[in-house]
Amino acid sequence: MTLSWTHHLIVAPVLLPLIGAALMLLFNERRRLLKNVIALSTASALLVIAILLLRGAASAGFAGEPATTAYLIGNWPAPFGIVLVIDWLSALMLVLTALLGLTSLIYSLARWDRAGPRFHALFLLQLMGLNGAFLTGDLFNLFVFFEVLLAASYGLLLHGSGPVRVKAGLHYVSINIATSLLFLIGAALIYGVTGTLNMADLATRIPLVTGSDLALLQGGMAILGIAFLVKAGMWPLGFWLPRTYAAAVPPVAAIFAILSKVGIYAVLRVYLLLLGGDEGWTASSGEEWLLFGGMATIAFGAIGVLAVRTLSHVAGYCVIISSGTLLATIGAGEGAVLAGALFYLVSSTLAVSAFYLLIELVERREGDTALQTGGAVFDDEYTIARGDQEDEIGIVIPATIAIVGGGFAFCALLIAGLPPLSGFIAKFAIIDGLLGLDDGVATPIWWLIGLIVVSGMATLIATTRAGIDLIWTPSDKPQPVLRMAEALPVGILLAVCLGLMVFAGPTMRYMERAGQSLTDRQGYIRSVLSAPPAGAGSMQP
Amino acid sequence: MLSLPFLGSLLAALLPSRARDAAGLVAGGVALVGTILLISLYPSVANGLVLRGEIQWLPSLGLNLIVRLDGLSWIFAFLVLAIGFLVVVYARYYMATEDPVPRFFSFLLAFMGAMLGLVLSGNIVQIAFFWELTSLFSFLLIGYWHHNETARSAARMALIVTAAGGLCLLIGLLLLGKMAGSYDLDAVLAATDRIHASPLYAPALFLILIGACTKSAQFPFHFWLPHAMAAPTPVSAYLHSATMVKAGIFVLIRLSPAIAGTDLWHFSVTSVGLVTLIAGAWAAIFQQDLKGMLAYSTISHLGLIVLLLGLGSPLATVAAIFHTVNHATFKASLFMAVGIIDHETGTRDLRRLSGLYRFMPITATLAMVAAAAMAGVPLLNGFLSKEMFLAEALGDYSDTALDQAMPYLATLGLAFSVLYSVRFIHQSFFGPPPTDLPHQPKEAPPWMRLPIEVLVLACLLVGIFPAATIGPFLASAVRSVLGDATPAYSLAIWHGFTTPLLLSFAAFFLGAAGYMLLRDRLNAVPVTPVIGRLKGRRMFETVLSIVITGARRLEGVLGTQRLQPQLRVMVVIVCLAGLLPFLRYGYMPGKEIGTVLDPGFGVIWIVAGACALGAAWQAKYHRLAALILMAGAGLVSCISFVWLSAPDLALTQLLVESVTTVLLLLGLRWLPKRIEEIWPEERTPWKVRLRRATDLSIALAAGLGMTLLAYAVMTRPLPETISRFFVEHAYPDAGGRNVVNVILVDFRAFDTLGEITVLAIVALTVFSLLRRFRPAQESVLSPEQQRFQDAFDEAREDRKVGDTLADYLFVPRVIMEWVFPVIIVLALYLLIRGHDLPGGGFAAGVTMSIALTLQYMASGTRSVEARLRVQPVHWMGLGLVIAIATGLGALLFGYPFLSSWFRYLDLPVFGKVPLATALLFDLGVFLLVVGATAVILIAIAHQSIRTPRELPARPDPEPEQA
Amino acid sequence: MEIVLSLGIGILTGSGVWLILRPRTFQVIVGLSLVSYAVNLFIYAMGRLKVDAPPIVGSGLADPADYVDPVPQALVLTAIVISFAMTALLLVMLLASRGLTGTDHVDGDDGE
Repeated sequence: MTLSWTHHLIVAPVLLPLIGAALMLLFNERRRLLKNVIALSTASALLVIAILLLRGAASAGFAGEPATTAYLIGNWPAPFGIVLVIDWLSALMLVLTALLGLTSLIYSLARWDRAGPRFHALFLLQLMGLNGAFLTGDLFNLFVFFEVLLAASYGLLLHGSGPVRVKAGLHYVSINIATSLLFLIGAALIYGVTGTLNMADLATRIPLVTGSDLALLQGGMAILGIAFLVKAGMWPLGFWLPRTYAAAVPPVAAIFAILSKVGIYAVLRVYLLLLGGDEGWTASSGEEWLLFGGMATIAFGAIGVLAVRTLSHVAGYCVIISSGTLLATIGAGEGAVLAGALFYLVSSTLAVSAFYLLIELVERREGDTALQTGGAVFDDEYTIARGDQEDEIGIVIPATIAIVGGGFAFCALLIAGLPPLSGFIAKFAIIDGLLGLDDGVATPIWWLIGLIVVSGMATLIATTRAGIDLIWTPSDKPQPVLRMAEALPVGILLAVCLGLMVFAGPTMRYMERAGQSLTDRQGYIRSVLSAPPAGAGSMQP
Repeated sequence: MLSLPFLGSLLAALLPSRARDAAGLVAGGVALVGTILLISLYPSVANGLVLRGEIQWLPSLGLNLIVRLDGLSWIFAFLVLAIGFLVVVYARYYMATEDPVPRFFSFLLAFMGAMLGLVLSGNIVQIAFFWELTSLFSFLLIGYWHHNETARSAARMALIVTAAGGLCLLIGLLLLGKMAGSYDLDAVLAATDRIHASPLYAPALFLILIGACTKSAQFPFHFWLPHAMAAPTPVSAYLHSATMVKAGIFVLIRLSPAIAGTDLWHFSVTSVGLVTLIAGAWAAIFQQDLKGMLAYSTISHLGLIVLLLGLGSPLATVAAIFHTVNHATFKASLFMAVGIIDHETGTRDLRRLSGLYRFMPITATLAMVAAAAMAGVPLLNGFLSKEMFLAEALGDYSDTALDQAMPYLATLGLAFSVLYSVRFIHQSFFGPPPTDLPHQPKEAPPWMRLPIEVLVLACLLVGIFPAATIGPFLASAVRSVLGDATPAYSLAIWHGFTTPLLLSFAAFFLGAAGYMLLRDRLNAVPVTPVIGRLKGRRMFETVLSIVITGARRLEGVLGTQRLQPQLRVMVVIVCLAGLLPFLRYGYMPGKEIGTVLDPGFGVIWIVAGACALGAAWQAKYHRLAALILMAGAGLVSCISFVWLSAPDLALTQLLVESVTTVLLLLGLRWLPKRIEEIWPEERTPWKVRLRRATDLSIALAAGLGMTLLAYAVMTRPLPETISRFFVEHAYPDAGGRNVVNVILVDFRAFDTLGEITVLAIVALTVFSLLRRFRPAQESVLSPEQQRFQDAFDEAREDRKVGDTLADYLFVPRVIMEWVFPVIIVLALYLLIRGHDLPGGGFAAGVTMSIALTLQYMASGTRSVEARLRVQPVHWMGLGLVIAIATGLGALLFGYPFLSSWFRYLDLPVFGKVPLATALLFDLGVFLLVVGATAVILIAIAHQSIRTPRELPARPDPEPEQA
Repeated sequence: MEIVLSLGIGILTGSGVWLILRPRTFQVIVGLSLVSYAVNLFIYAMGRLKVDAPPIVGSGLADPADYVDPVPQALVLTAIVISFAMTALLLVMLLASRGLTGTDHVDGDDGE
């Protein structure tokens, strides 16, 4: 039997950007047009593929069928080879990534890609890392893709160089290297106890672990979990986050908006799958930590939002708030409030990303373009880096302020979770779910609800303060130049949020199914472990 | 009908900023059409049936858009639309010509839509939804003149207060829904008993009340309303008299069947209303700004309505609805009149106005009638509802002090309202002609007066023929709220000499007398006595600033920007997390008897330990030493890999080891010189000691933890692992004897692909970072030795600079140049045999790059690149492409990515040679690794031949390479 | 053997962690590489220890019992490569930050 092309599609989100990047390495930096074309076409192709996969996933998994499809890399049967797994959740994340990727890329083409060499390649590799992390069904492979996306994020963070970025980068890199080491320790421990790396296989073996091995296993799990939580920016592990994101150039920050969500995704995936079981100790482990940690994170985020002075830091703390909300909700709901949480994840990620793109437009001052250039190392390494003031395609729209201001208001509403935008629906869904948990709503849940509301309030206060000062206060600054390439991505992102709001019904249904597929462990295990290799094992002559 | 205003708003927003008439037409048209539609719907509402339209929106969460029209919502909707229309007409002539009115009208329409949505909603979540919308648009409208600061701060305050209230309301309503089991309004209204019984009742009521109070400017949340007067007058007339401030009232009336009727409700609502009534009226007396006066009077009238609702008797509800309507009519007209005064005279200051009657008789008359209605003069609508109110105030509900005092307090409040009405009329319209006005007052254009005329007419009609005009509408509205409990009431003007009548006459007398006595003194009073102290706005600002500064401090405490604390916290948490399970299950090493200890092994590890500790000790001041010690530790781990029969690891580790060391050596040159820090008084301060002590203990804990973990695992039997499969299939199915390598390039080739990608990314990052590299000043100069040699060359005229350098490296250079090809061959050998023997693409690649590095070290960057063309980036690209292409090849045969294929080739000389696609893949790895490593090493090597530049912003000068 | 190795791992980790918590970039680099040695050994140890086991399988059907568990070795190889890359990156960042901020303190300023 040979595989249909649709089946091969699963690996495409990882391969396409890799190929694109590889090709770019073969051409030197002077060919900007070529690189733009490659990058753009790759990104758009990714979006198309992701949507196809989403539709494929959405059509599967009814009538008790597992919603999961596995792809055996190298045609080695699971759990021995590496599998890529696509289900509702991963498809969703793929689409999200592709969307952010495309928009940020378009945005960057206006000026930022010239701030340093090899931007496009790094950007595509970033996308590859993200997609891989969302797709893989193998613990160690997850580590590898974490490294890919981290390495790329280092590169992108330092894109444009300058003291601020290097300082922030130094922290970011050191912390994440340490985290990766934790990841290794955790994964190794788990292997040492269970003897496997494939997640589905782990899910079957973990409940069988007994006696004093349990301590080792749980130790491994805990260390692994902390690695994830550092990525997600949970208090007190996430101090690096706002500063790092604020230091990055806007399009990069926009794509970073989903970086912290990778941690959340990993927590969801690994912990719901491996510890989701009802039997024995796996039934309850770590939820309360997630709950309280998440609540602390929300509180810290709210405080930070009020405390910081610049918008980019505000956005950073918004990321923290959303991570906290998600973690706490996951911890509180044990999967019951997943639908709302996922909806919130999508909406808040989009909103924050758009916010990062907008901030730069709102705060743009003349002459301050962080574009610098230095000497080349290799003679084929010359970027056409210039102050980008000449040959602008941008036209000064009279309504620039109006557009920017409108967009800003949109983002503020989205992030603060006020009507009429999707942010409100997300929060409503979460709170509704939390209230619906059981009749006697527990005290921590009350606190959580309170925190969610208060954090929304804090965001509102912070954003209105900044927004009023920046947009309403009359200033003698010349109206900023707004290029289509910059307005368009923001428009797209906000439009999607609007769509989420209008089609809240169907979207929410999808989220609910995604939640179910997450909790349907047996289905996942079955469809991964029993995925048939193509032909007879390896291709023998 | 609901969507109409929003569409209109969009349309208006798209109009060019000069098209005032078009915008006005759109807005007016929308409002008018809406009104007509509404009226056409009346008959069906009149005979008591409820029109419902439902749009599926979020069914899974019970959130659907339900349009629900009954008597109450009809009457509110009518207010919204009709007054909206009048305001539009008024605004068309009020707004200055240079204002970009389309924006104004679009906001206005959007607000209208939100308000409609609120009153027509049949789902409590929907109520909260539109509630927040009204807050937002009022924010935009108040801040319409955002170029002046007061408008900005007022808008912000209004938004924050009302939005916060809205969030409270949302939670309250959600709780209500949870109690009732549904968010559908009808279901909620039906579930009264369950709601009253539920423990959640009190918090829900509390939250909903907060929401209503913030919106309807009830004490203590009233302070935003007077400041909101910074808005254009039409806005004040519309939002702050007729519609938005009534939203809170509406919600209370709407939900009263479900949540009213308890003592909690009675006392809280009544007292809030009473306080607001008195305080508002009292403050209104002392306002010098006309709009300010109207604002406070609005507050007090809202208080009156809330008080009525608090009383909770059916008749009180009737009175409440009735007064809501009346207040809307007369207050809107008053605002417009004041707007005209402001417009024509240029001031709203009571102290400067006087005798306007002779300039604008018509406006004056209208204003007087409206004011009389406000004061509750007979034959006007205000009178009727006021009588009802007094009648209700007299009734007894619970024999408490509150209940006893109510009539008197009510009368007092009314007396105040009479007082300020009289003051308003008398001071602005009568008396001597005004002096020092910004411009000469004249009568307003008829179009601008029209809305007022209409409204005042309404006041009169309702006042004189209540039963004929308002009666039926009121009836249907009341029925929709009270249902069968609707009481019998008469809207007659004359009920005979009743107590209410006496009370209201008392009020008239008091008010008039008060004005007579105080009129001059009132103008002198700068701030409102007694309650003037608590300046709502200042309190708000202070609270906000306290919050923010507090947040800053807290963030300082809870967060950190420094690296060490973050890492410290992380390590500690990890240790705890690792410890926890062992506390639960206890720690025990496994039973397995391990391999016997070889003394040699122990010895090398003693060395390794010493090295590690030494490195830790020396890293600060003697970097080179630390580096060597570190390398030593690394070396030992290589040896132990060999010892423990893992040659591949040993090989790779060794190679990587050497490259890393070279790297660090190259890097050392750029680091600053460290001199031992001498603390004052010869001893390190205790803070530093403390920190070191903590770090030491943390480090110890971490080390101990790792030891225990490792030991515990190693002494346990190995579980049935997936490696059985690999060992068994490596040779037969993947054609490789070296299982490890087969895993890397075949079983788990995907990992390797990712891994080399990481390498590539890092390489790219490294040199894009180094292109910006600017060495610190003191490390710019070439090292001492080199300077010495150059000096020597300078001295002799027969030598060029750098000769000595070349000379003294002569021997090693020759050797290395000879060695170069040898190493390359070795590398290739490693690559080929990798599949069957230790080695493989990675090892080969690193070896190759070492060869390159040797060349660079021996004969200098320039000469190397002069001779062989170094383009590592291209090699990287090529490597990636090959690797991917190998993987993709499988797809052609319909197999998954990276499926491998192999066979043995019989070559004449070599004999059996394995030929596997994995080998190709490994070639890709090889190329990439060479490329990446070379890029990194060379990029750093290049720094020393670069001339540091001061201004990095300058575009590149000519290439630096020969 | 096991006891020695685990002690070794412990010492490497301990001194590495100590260095990571120091304020100078170079110390952090050395610390991280020490810890990564430890982690590599740790991963390897997860496959348990064997002395003088053949690294190469014969042509016949091989019995896993005779060999050292290959999977951890593969993981270690990947880990080595990645940690090498990261060390290189960190080194360059160290240089850059040194050049741009004029100090080698991890926070870019010498305030203790």
